[in-house]
Amino acid sequence: MNFKVRLTLVALVVLGMFILHNSFWLWNLDDRVPLLFGFMPFAFSFYVGYTLLAFIAMRIIIALAWPEPPADLLQSAGDKESNEQ
Amino acid sequence: MISTLGIVVIALYFFVLIGIGIYGARVSLKTREDYFLAGRGLGSIAVFMALFASNITAFTIIGHAGFAYEVGYGAYGYVIGWSIFITPFTFYLVGYRSWLLGKRYGYATQPQVFGGIFNSKLVALLFLVFLLYYTLPYLVVSIIGGSLAFSTITDGMVPYWISSLIIICISLVYTIPAGLRGTVWTDIFQGTLFMVVAILLLAAVAHSLGGFTEITERIVRQNPAMLQRGLSEKIAPINWFSFSFVNSIAVIVFPQMFTRVLAARQSFNLKRVSLYYPLAMAAIFGVSTLLGVWGSAAVPGLTGKDADNIVPLLIHQFLSPVWMILGLMVILAVVKSSIDSQLLSFTHLVTDDLLPRFKRISSAQAVFWGRILLVVFAAAAYYIALVRPAAILSIAAFAFSGFSVMLPVMIGALYWPRANKYGACAALVFPAVMLHLWYLGILPGWTTFGFMPVFPAFVLAIITLVVVSYLTAPPSAEQREKTFGIFERVFDYEDKEGEEKIQPKSS
Repeated sequence: MNFKVRLTLVALVVLGMFILHNSFWLWNLDDRVPLLFGFMPFAFSFYVGYTLLAFIAMRIIIALAWPEPPADLLQSAGDKESNEQ
Repeated sequence: MISTLGIVVIALYFFVLIGIGIYGARVSLKTREDYFLAGRGLGSIAVFMALFASNITAFTIIGHAGFAYEVGYGAYGYVIGWSIFITPFTFYLVGYRSWLLGKRYGYATQPQVFGGIFNSKLVALLFLVFLLYYTLPYLVVSIIGGSLAFSTITDGMVPYWISSLIIICISLVYTIPAGLRGTVWTDIFQGTLFMVVAILLLAAVAHSLGGFTEITERIVRQNPAMLQRGLSEKIAPINWFSFSFVNSIAVIVFPQMFTRVLAARQSFNLKRVSLYYPLAMAAIFGVSTLLGVWGSAAVPGLTGKDADNIVPLLIHQFLSPVWMILGLMVILAVVKSSIDSQLLSFTHLVTDDLLPRFKRISSAQAVFWGRILLVVFAAAAYYIALVRPAAILSIAAFAFSGFSVMLPVMIGALYWPRANKYGACAALVFPAVMLHLWYLGILPGWTTFGFMPVFPAFVLAIITLVVVSYLTAPPSAEQREKTFGIFERVFDYEDKEGEEKIQPKSS
């Protein structure tokens, strides 16, 4: 898959999470949804679920668009330091 | 009052920190990279705890609980909701690419990374000036908040000026000898401590209030408004939306956070941090939210700043004195873990990006100057925390917003090859000026269209970067290649290297 396509998918994941966080229409459920585990109202339990979604979203992003760098690319960082000694 | 046992426990806690400082100094090399970046060798747990602990301040336990006391369960989503996802995402979006450039070119700070990308000393200088300008008030406010909390929880036995002095001195004891390594090791210790104690504290408060279900049902009966986000003006949708642009996206711009990302040993470490960071942030803010909301039923009637004392009050009224000692340690841990990192970052910026403009200094000299400056800046911060000048505190009120509006330039630099130094300079200065005009009341409130000023300023930063970059000469091909050549290799833009990737390393 082309990187631009992968980056677009990442952008869609971010947009989805942003819309979910700003889903004001769900606020009507705050006093209607039963308490989760007897102590978490919807305004709280929603973000417990959101946290799990964030975990999944980051897994997807890592799988889609976070490649490991080639080893040779990262070799010159210490040079600057050693030259100064 | 703190018992003898309490004093012994706290003394032990301090000795552990001092021991970490001494040991850290013994294993540290006297090089700039080792002192300020721990030799770019931090593993997953170290980076995770360093980022987590540095980002937890007195606000998390004290201020946020007070906010939840006032607005209810909605405080959770308002303050930390978007951060749960977007903060770790920025570790990928900005952090990973900056880390790649840091590894490749030896960059250690934002002025170096973004000055390097744009090949511009002015861009580097603007980053330096703005980061120092916003970090100092943030540091002072952290000291003030922590010292007030320390003083409150000891019933005034330790006055404010001594609390500040203790917090700063203990932070210096391990930061001066061991640099970033010392702060990270103490972050691991302190981060673990306050996470464990905070969860135990929640369980103990719940137990003393009749259990999780009992206290929640009491809130449902007595004050059902605490459950409904739509009933609180403070978290009205327009504020909720605007706040998405305040603390959550600012985190990667904080110099202490950015530096810690650059200090990761491998890309793999950053990935793990990005995955688990949401869980830790959600947990600690969840504890703070529940304590605040429960406090509204258990200790009703607090208003304004008094509500910020709800956690110490819960401990005082419902738990044994042993919890007071643990609570005090949590306060100290959260305060110091952020103050030490801010102090070190401030010093790092001055040592690495300001001093070399006047005098060439060797790596060993940089460490020497770093240690001297740590003491100087700590003394200055202490003095400002005692005097509390209005000008500094008014800047602190929008320091987070100031950090946030720098993000578009950072993203533009890392993703848009057409972005140039003129666009970057304009996009750093113009939104910052507008923020000041809005926050200092020079421009009328209606000019933000009802949003918090940070949102229009953020949009202005994007527009300015794009417009000015298009109106001026593009960066040279050589300059673009220096940055985007690296990214093209890593991110495989054209998907051409598939065959190469599946070849075994040994071949």
